[in-house]
Amino acid sequence: MSVLRADNVHKRYDDLEVLRGVTFEVAPGQVKVIIGPSGSGKSTLLRCLALLEETDGGEITLEGARPGPGEVGMVFQRFNLFQNMTALQNVMCGLVEVRRQSKSEARKAALEFLDRVGLADKAAQYPDELSGGQQQRVAIARALVMRPKAMLFDEPTSALDVELVREVLDVMETLAREGMTMVVVSHELRFAHHVASTVLMMDDGRIVEEAPPGEFFSAPKEERTRRFLSLVE
Amino acid sequence: MLASFDTHLFWVALSSGPYWRGALLALEVTAASLTTAILIGFFVALGALSPRRGIRSISWIYNWLFRATPTLLQLFFIWYALPQLWTGFAQSWFTPFMAAWIALSLNEGAYMSEIIRAGLLSVDPGQELAGRALGLSRRRILQRIVVPQAIRIAIPPTGNEFITLLKLTSLASIISLHEILTASQELAVVKFQYPEPLLAALLYYLAIVSVLMVLQSRLERRFTFTSARRRRPSTAAAVPAVSHDAR
Repeated sequence: MSVLRADNVHKRYDDLEVLRGVTFEVAPGQVKVIIGPSGSGKSTLLRCLALLEETDGGEITLEGARPGPGEVGMVFQRFNLFQNMTALQNVMCGLVEVRRQSKSEARKAALEFLDRVGLADKAAQYPDELSGGQQQRVAIARALVMRPKAMLFDEPTSALDVELVREVLDVMETLAREGMTMVVVSHELRFAHHVASTVLMMDDGRIVEEAPPGEFFSAPKEERTRRFLSLVE
Repeated sequence: MLASFDTHLFWVALSSGPYWRGALLALEVTAASLTTAILIGFFVALGALSPRRGIRSISWIYNWLFRATPTLLQLFFIWYALPQLWTGFAQSWFTPFMAAWIALSLNEGAYMSEIIRAGLLSVDPGQELAGRALGLSRRRILQRIVVPQAIRIAIPPTGNEFITLLKLTSLASIISLHEILTASQELAVVKFQYPEPLLAALLYYLAIVSVLMVLQSRLERRFTFTSARRRRPSTAAAVPAVSHDAR
């Protein structure tokens, strides 16, 4: 039984084949962490899962059907908070514009989710006035408030100063413990160790290896994975 | 040494009805033309950014046509030639005001489209991506996210355009629109005295532009996205300006 599934997904940009037939699925409550060198297709895979990119073959399904608006939440490397809106307005936006909720309903839910990421006191601040870590937590709340069936994280801590990484990983860890289905592209190997159900290695548009973190890090089967891990660790 | 400066004549000019009405008329033509031009410019800019080649070329042709020909020629064409080509324009509704409005809107629309296009392009593509990830339609993304951020960038050059247009309304004195320049010339011809009437006209322009500059800085603050207590004069990045030297 899987929540989110990619079936033989292909993606090319002109002559460049970025995904060469990726098949992969996430079961409810699973956390899959994808690692791999840049250009291996990790981010493209996430964008395809979030329907931000059309695939050139293959299929993306969420509980057996094409995902609807807001059903798969996405968190970006560079946060991408709406610059013209306060933290609260950012989190309300999807509820008002997509779910057609009333402003007061949306505000209530948004405040609740800002509180969950520990930022209820920053509701009135604009993105420019928040630290990177705070912005990313607002971005997580903005996706969560839509009650997605799965959450995708595209290198959520790579744009952050070191001392801000922890607060974002903590939020993600809590989320995982609460049973959220997650796909995370990240090089935070400690996070992968602690939180991942399985770790995937991607290279050259393919999934090279997939294993539970213990096995993946201590006894990787593929030479490609070993080489990559020796570079990252 | 001033040969002769008739202070009384200066005050007469400054407070005369034709001046007031002329200033008001210039302001009306400017405001009406700029509003229409922003609308035209918005759609021409969207066209220029369209993935469809046919639509892009329509925008390109529009900009080419209205920027490559002199504004005065366009004004003449609309005032003199249009009624001869099309009897619908040979009616009483087609006043100098209407002609100036149409000509300046069409002309300014081309310049505004470039300003608006630059504004739209200045918005980080990540904003649209995040909107799509939430499930917002393209239209909503434009309306709620991209346009408000583009406005911030477009305000300073649009202020420039307002000033340019205000001064361009003096061109319409040639098609007998009774704006400020007309008023000053009429007075000067009657009194056979130029410094006072022209100086008074000059002061009118200065006054209007001063008020505009105050309004503009308020508008800029309104579109600076920081919470109220930290709101401060803008430090937004410099914006590529459109040159209007040759207009």
